[in-house]
Amino acid sequence: MSPMNNPQDLNPSSLKSRFTTRFLRALTKINGQKPISSSSPREMFQRYRRIKVAADKSMAWSVRSRRTWSRAMLWKLRSRYSCRQASSSRRSSVRTSTIIKSRQAKTSHEKENKNTTTGQDEVGFVVQADKLRKLVPGGEAMDLCNLLGETAHYIKCLTTQVQVMRKIAHFYSL
Amino acid sequence: MQPCSREMQAMNSLLNPTQQIPLQDLQSNGNSNAHQQIQNPQFDPTSPHDDFLEQMLSTLPSCSWSDLKSPWDPPKSDETGPPNPDNNVGFHYDEILASKLRQHQINGGGGSSSAAAAMKMMMQQQMMLEGRATAAAGAGGGGGFTMPLSLGSGAAGSHQNDNIVDGSSFKSPNHQGGDGSVQALCNSFGAGSLHGTNQSSNQFQHFHHPQGGNMQAQNFGVTAGTVMNQSQASGSTTGGTPAQPKQRVRARRGQATDPHSIAERLRRERIAERMKALQELVPNANKTDKASMLDEIIDYVKFLQLQVKGGGDCIQTSANGKQTSSPNDSLTVTEHQVAKLMEEDMGSAMQYLQGKGLCLMPISLATAISTATCHSRNPMINNANPNNGNSNHLLLQSSGEGPSSPSMSVLTVQSATVGNGAIDGSVKDATSVSKP
Repeated sequence: MSPMNNPQDLNPSSLKSRFTTRFLRALTKINGQKPISSSSPREMFQRYRRIKVAADKSMAWSVRSRRTWSRAMLWKLRSRYSCRQASSSRRSSVRTSTIIKSRQAKTSHEKENKNTTTGQDEVGFVVQADKLRKLVPGGEAMDLCNLLGETAHYIKCLTTQVQVMRKIAHFYSL
Repeated sequence: MQPCSREMQAMNSLLNPTQQIPLQDLQSNGNSNAHQQIQNPQFDPTSPHDDFLEQMLSTLPSCSWSDLKSPWDPPKSDETGPPNPDNNVGFHYDEILASKLRQHQINGGGGSSSAAAAMKMMMQQQMMLEGRATAAAGAGGGGGFTMPLSLGSGAAGSHQNDNIVDGSSFKSPNHQGGDGSVQALCNSFGAGSLHGTNQSSNQFQHFHHPQGGNMQAQNFGVTAGTVMNQSQASGSTTGGTPAQPKQRVRARRGQATDPHSIAERLRRERIAERMKALQELVPNANKTDKASMLDEIIDYVKFLQLQVKGGGDCIQTSANGKQTSSPNDSLTVTEHQVAKLMEEDMGSAMQYLQGKGLCLMPISLATAISTATCHSRNPMINNANPNNGNSNHLLLQSSGEGPSSPSMSVLTVQSATVGNGAIDGSVKDATSVSKP
């Protein structure tokens, strides 16, 4: 398999190319930040996490707030980052989780009201819709119709991410 | 019919001075005032039956009575065409009358069946006489409602139907004949229900777009269908009465819950389109049930998220340990990850593996396969100790499949059809997987 990404994403403004450039930039930054030789599992885990965060962030940025899920993800990342800077990590995580939980409670309350007014044939989807909401970032605050659209876009972005990362990994391992 | 005419004349005489002036106004000014007339609060919707009749009778313009009277006298069968400036006006009145009639019918007024039927006949005839009356769009729905109702109404009306139909055939230049006009009405109902827009100058199409909704138009189509049968089967009184309660229920349902039902239907359609779009994205899209499709979507999203994680790990290890990199490292990393995932959720662990193009299989089978095919390909074999401490081998072998339902003992190796092809061969000793 050719390591070159270019022949396949000739369109410079496609999602894939945008994500690729950002992600590579983030990766080089991460590589530059810390020495490579650390091999303790904790630090490796941190690096994994950082890479994952970088991937998410670069994906969200390449979508550029045109979608609800990207906005939610960016908001979450920013809040986490700022909270981490402001106070200790434990408190920040609690704060963000309480914020998210309060939003969830509100939207679930709204959802209950909405579900009682809508027809009976859609009751069975509520459980799965909740699961989907947890998976898709920012999904708690959306109704089913928008949620499905966001999920479609999110799936497309995730597949792009996976393809790019696989290619990069392959390229690196050669 | 004769008591009707008498009543009409009495009412007219009683209420003439107060209500003829706005009527004349209407006639002179045309549509805009007609709208005002329709919205005129002198029409009390909650009036009891007699007042309702009075109002209906009183609001008709005196000059149009002569035209309307003709179909009521079958032997006369005049050929006086309807006055054109009255068309719009009369049409509005018809709608007002129609709305009143609808309420009346819904309230179950059975007392003045003859008078009501006569009113309906008149309305029906007026509607048939109408030209391109596009003005009273709002009240057109009301008119349209009662149109099939009036056509199909009751024992008293069926024979009068025919009279009206015959009488109206002389009236309007747009007619193709009595039954033909009814047919045109029903056809246009059906056509309008499909399109639901007021584009063409079809004379009956203004019945359709008010209060939107295909449901209402479908009601029209259905009721018009039943109506057509009735009118064509001339003199069949039996067809009238059983269909009438059916029409009434349908009309009521369509009218009462309309905005909600339309919104509901729109919402459902949107959801259905999105589901279809998602079905194309998700690989295993053969499920027809919405719930199972949603499950599939959820699994696929989880799988993709795991893949992203795994890809990140791959990059990490390959970028990190480039100097010391060997397939072992990536495998160790994978093993760690799989073990971690297995703790929380077996399904996600499986999906993670499949995301990497790997699968689990019992060791015995793996060794059998490896010995059988070791000359062409050397499968990677990782031995790991699961929780129970059995010496079960876990074989991580690449396969070209996408996400499928995981099972520990099922082998999904397709060694002949492996997509990647590059499988390193390294047989490890039994290593215990450390769970962090």
